Amino acid sequence: MNVKVRFFARFRELLGTELIIEVAEQTTLPDLVKQITQKNIEGHQAIFDEYGHFREYVIVMRNARRVDLADAGENIVADGDDIAVFPPVAGG
Amino acid sequence: MFSERERERYKRQMMLFGDEGQERLKKAHIFIAGAGGLGSPVSLYLAVAGIGTLTIVDRDVVDQSNLNRQILHNDRDIGRKKTESAEEKLHAINPDIQIRAIDTTIEEKNASGLVGKADGIVDAMDNYPTRYLLNDIAIKKKIPLFHGAISGFYGQATTVIPGKTACLACIFPKAPPKEVFPVVGVTPGIIGMVQATEVLKYLLKSGELLTNRLFIWDGMQAHAEEICMERNPRCTACGSMSEIPENK
Ligand SMILES: [Zn+2]
Repeated sequence: MNVKVRFFARFRELLGTELIIEVAEQTTLPDLVKQITQKNIEGHQAIFDEYGHFREYVIVMRNARRVDLADAGENIVADGDDIAVFPPVAGG
Repeated sequence: MFSERERERYKRQMMLFGDEGQERLKKAHIFIAGAGGLGSPVSLYLAVAGIGTLTIVDRDVVDQSNLNRQILHNDRDIGRKKTESAEEKLHAINPDIQIRAIDTTIEEKNASGLVGKADGIVDAMDNYPTRYLLNDIAIKKKIPLFHGAISGFYGQATTVIPGKTACLACIFPKAPPKEVFPVVGVTPGIIGMVQATEVLKYLLKSGELLTNRLFIWDGMQAHAEEICMERNPRCTACGSMSEIPENK
């Protein structure tokens, strides 16, 4: 099955704007994103902490709904999902 | 009431919102936190639009490296207080409004007093700790917060109506790490204009505010998106607030 993943801001520079990813059944949200970041250390470190959890300020949206990072690991993606991952920007 | 000069100055926009709208702007007091990249375009455009009172707060002096984006300040202002420079420029561009420029750091102990009886807060800061503080003040005073932030060619903006729509802490429960962000002036120009447009709409009570939506701009792609947001019932800042009646 296929899932669309979109990145914003700095994550976009590191990992690309929009990717269609083929995933296995029962893939969780973090594992889906890790499938993309596994060959990109900088991108991986920007999004995940040393335990492989989403960094606490990262915003993950699934089909335009906010994903609670506390249980992102139990969030199983489905065919046709639209996942958005982005960091808040801070400058002024 | 308007003087002849004011009528002439605002003629073209009064075609849009009439005496009544212009009067609303004239009676309004907007607090602008920061006279930097975002604060420059926001304050200039709110000044020319005729917002009756603008309070602008900043603690810095003008540095040469600010001038690629902080268009309130000129080369000859280097070394001057940003508030002094801001007051001079804003007064020159519209002598019919009141400018209160305050040279201080916005902190927990002074923030509420600084904002005073302002009708809204423009977030033109460059760090999340101060943004969360402004968010708390907006919630406490039940006035809107017009958020903007930028980095490089990217920007984001949203409008918070406390007790009704997602607040800054609902949207960003945790601050991103502090960084020296790259920036080119056009980005705060665009995001600052989104914020200033929101201020005008709020005061004019017209249009659809950028509430429960995060506007995201990618200048390199020339692409804007919006992401739907909602209040977090467990939000540490606004979670205890119930629906409040419209107070304006
Ligand atoms: Zn909140």
